[in-house]
Amino acid sequence: MLTNVVKHGLERIVGEANCSFSKEELLCYSYDATNTLHQPDAVVFPSGPEEVSLVLKMANSEGFPVVPRGAGTGFSGGSLPVGGGVVLSFERMRNILEIDTENMVAIVEPGVVTWDLQQAVEKLGLFYPPDPSSLKFSTIGGNIAECAGGPRAVKYGVTRDYVLGLEAVLPTGEIINTGVRTAKGVVGYDLTRLLVGSEGTLGVVTKAVLKLLPLPETTTTMLALFPDLRDAARATSAIIRARIIPSTLEIMDSVSIKCVEGFAKTGLPEAEALLLIEVDGHKAAVETEAEAVRRVCLENGAGEFRTASDRNEVKDLWKARRAVSAALYKARPGKINEDIVVPRSRIPDLVDGLRGISERHGVLIASFGHAGDGNIHVNIMHDRKSQAEAALAAAEDVFRLAVGLGGTISGEHGVGSAKSRYLDMELKPDAIAAMKRIKEAFDPKGILNPGKIFPGPGPQKRAPAGAGYAESK
Amino acid sequence: MKPLNLLKHEIDKCVRCGTCRSTCPTTKVLGVETASPRGRVSLVSAYSSGEIGLSETYLKHLRECTLCGACRTNCPNGVDTVSIFASARAEAVEKQGAPLAASLAFRGLRDPGGIVGMGLKLARRLQGLLFKDASAGAGLVSRFSLPLVGNGRLIPPLAGTFFLDLPEVRAYESSKGAPGEAGKPRVAFYAGCGVNYLMPWVGTKSVELIRRAGAVVSVPGGQACCGMPAYAMGDLAAAREMARKNLEALESSGADLIATSCATCGHGLKSIMPELLSDDPGLKLRAEKVASRVRDISELLLNDLGFRGAGGGSGASTVVTYHDPCHLGRAQGLREAPRELIKMGRGTVLKEMKNPCLCCGLGGGLMYTNYELSMEIAGKKAENIKKSGADVVATACPGCIIQLKDGLHRAGVQTEVKHVVELL
Ligand SMILES: Cc1cc2nc3c(=O)[nH]c(=O)nc-3n(C[C@H](O)[C@H](O)[C@H](O)COP(=O)(O)OP(=O)(O)OC[C@H]3O[C@@H](n4cnc5c(N)ncnc54)[C@H](O)[C@@H]3O)c2cc1C
Ligand code: SF4
Ligand code: SF4
Repeated sequence: MLTNVVKHGLERIVGEANCSFSKEELLCYSYDATNTLHQPDAVVFPSGPEEVSLVLKMANSEGFPVVPRGAGTGFSGGSLPVGGGVVLSFERMRNILEIDTENMVAIVEPGVVTWDLQQAVEKLGLFYPPDPSSLKFSTIGGNIAECAGGPRAVKYGVTRDYVLGLEAVLPTGEIINTGVRTAKGVVGYDLTRLLVGSEGTLGVVTKAVLKLLPLPETTTTMLALFPDLRDAARATSAIIRARIIPSTLEIMDSVSIKCVEGFAKTGLPEAEALLLIEVDGHKAAVETEAEAVRRVCLENGAGEFRTASDRNEVKDLWKARRAVSAALYKARPGKINEDIVVPRSRIPDLVDGLRGISERHGVLIASFGHAGDGNIHVNIMHDRKSQAEAALAAAEDVFRLAVGLGGTISGEHGVGSAKSRYLDMELKPDAIAAMKRIKEAFDPKGILNPGKIFPGPGPQKRAPAGAGYAESK
Repeated sequence: MKPLNLLKHEIDKCVRCGTCRSTCPTTKVLGVETASPRGRVSLVSAYSSGEIGLSETYLKHLRECTLCGACRTNCPNGVDTVSIFASARAEAVEKQGAPLAASLAFRGLRDPGGIVGMGLKLARRLQGLLFKDASAGAGLVSRFSLPLVGNGRLIPPLAGTFFLDLPEVRAYESSKGAPGEAGKPRVAFYAGCGVNYLMPWVGTKSVELIRRAGAVVSVPGGQACCGMPAYAMGDLAAAREMARKNLEALESSGADLIATSCATCGHGLKSIMPELLSDDPGLKLRAEKVASRVRDISELLLNDLGFRGAGGGSGASTVVTYHDPCHLGRAQGLREAPRELIKMGRGTVLKEMKNPCLCCGLGGGLMYTNYELSMEIAGKKAENIKKSGADVVATACPGCIIQLKDGLHRAGVQTEVKHVVELL
């Protein structure tokens, strides 16, 4: 609970209209896409770095947690106020401040929705590639804090690769600028990269300098259907082996396909697995590459192959693809959603391993995602009442499998509060200790987004909810 | 219509993914979670589990919604948000005891400042109308917020003679009036508040077009407001009364088909009327029968009557862009038919604007409960209309017409606003 002194202090800093304490408003800031609930004690909407700085300074002196929040679409509980405190919402800082076409740089406030930035730069013939499936509703601030990736990562990389510099407020209240607005820069430690992906635990981003690319001349969208998920996985490796780097290479299994059938007006065909592939670039190159993709798919068992004929079909296909994650609940009411990554060449082994886990624990596993970079969203679908334990056990096996195949337990969703207890499955104690020392150096009092990434002290009790677990209220 | 306690399953279907944030006109303007569909579903969820009561904050956020349905169409989990919101509003009205629409209407009328600028004669007529039969003019008040005059508002003038009072219309009261081609259906025309009180010419033009297409037209007496404004405000008792009146009027017309030139009335008669009367199995069955015969003017002309245009399109000169009314595009799935009509217009070419199905901001009683927000949404629309470079923005709903005019006027954009039928 916050004292009245703190509440008045907050009102003085951001203005009464940008501050909420009412139960109703707090309720709306108590969840993210993990669908778990933790109510904050206040929500404030800052309008610039100075206000953020004052709030953080007060948090240090008065001792309350501060949790940055973008759109609240995270899949690991990053924006959940697990220990109460103040939610710092960037929903009112959503201006695109500058698009510098000559130097191909954009400067934005953290609350800008990724899609809005993309639309704005594309009008000028420029391109901001990072495209999490949540791109139409998640924010640049959230993308930076989670180092979000998307289908285009296979060719263009992830958010990290487009952040040149940041304006950020340190947990102790200092406003700093990191990085550059040039193509190069090596002066001092790379604090930009440290902040990107730090899940709002090391600093609060108030402005971002983003790198832009020229918009590719053309894009071709293709759909390959396979009689078996394993064939689709093999085709994925084969495409990359053929030295083609598609701009997206997405996989969906039969459960995922069924759940979003209705989303594409043209209808998604029935298949055990499909690949959604795009190649982009200059027209002539795109034609050659598209032809090569077709050949490789057919050689690797594709039963059907089509090329999208118009923009509406492309839009439809993506709408369906982006809806998968949320629509899977149609298959089972409970979902544990993991975003493991394995080396691309090991995807077929992953598919086999997942089949084993599904059988062993009696849960339904739906897989889809960014096959092109080995980042597969593994969804353990189950009955919330009778299968909660089995689902958690299956999730642990999935992590073990991923790490065993030389991969990681999270490619883009982050650790947050949902996955912290699995941290040591991937990281050695010394590495965790080094990270904790960094956190302490930045945030000696531990006021910024506490309870995230690192497991709390004491024995790790099994949380009732795993990552992305939809808790029934 | 399902009461809130029977919608628990629907509410629990929301997994809080946030996809709907991208589609909601109020989130676009205000940016915050409390003004998002996900926020509203969460609030209703908390209300129905007893965590919060009927507080002002709750009601404010619940009513800051145009019921445009964009969130429902785009929800990956198929959450029926609109039903959740409508039921929550109804429950609030029921619990608070005051039929909202009517009480607000009379509050507006009692306030002498409320009628300034309308011309006293017109105001008196309106007043008389509302006092005589609240259900007749409910739409005028809660939909077009007519007696309330805000700062700088462009007030829709009340028609000199209402559509249903026009002598040539009265002549059509029964279908015996007009001769039709053999084999063509008999059509009853349903006016609705917008056409009747504010733009009778849309009604006369529609009737003329139906006749030109070879059908026999009648304009049955006893029509009431379609009930959608009352439904949106949560005043179910009033909405049910209107539904029953309309059911009777339309049933006794004996027509094969029922046409309307208002998207909202069309949706109201097709879907909401049966829902409102669903408590009584007999009434429900009758309502469904009538509902199945209701057509929007565009689908009637094109699909049922095989209308092929006036044939007079020499040398295109007017660029027309089209605004999809939420109650036509999303609610009735009619996107192509009105566009086809525009293409048949006299010298018109169709040019799409960006995001033509973005709500105009009028719906759900928003222009009534939060005029400023409603206008900010209209402002977004005005921007898209302006950027399209069109001379005319056409649409198929009197509500949208009023709202677009107001929004364009505010934004200083000169684009003309017309009903699709006016182009033919
Ligand atoms: C349907 C769906 C699909 C998704 N698909 C993808 C995908 O393909 N790829 C992917 O990577 N993710 C995906 N996500 C997850 C999520 O959208 C991303 O993690 C996104 O980056 C979160 O952005 P947000 O604005 O919602 O941030 P929030 O959820 O509000 O916050 C996320 C984290 O960022 C921190 N944060 C927010 N703003 C700031 C700031 N200004 N300064 C410092 N820290 C801040 C928060 O504290 C929190 O730790 C998906 C989510 C959904 C619901
Ligand atoms: S899109 Fe649907 S499931 Fe997702 S938050 Fe909105 S209403 Fe809930
Ligand atoms: S119905 Fe329209 S205004 Fe209401 S919450 Fe849904 S999208 Fe927003």
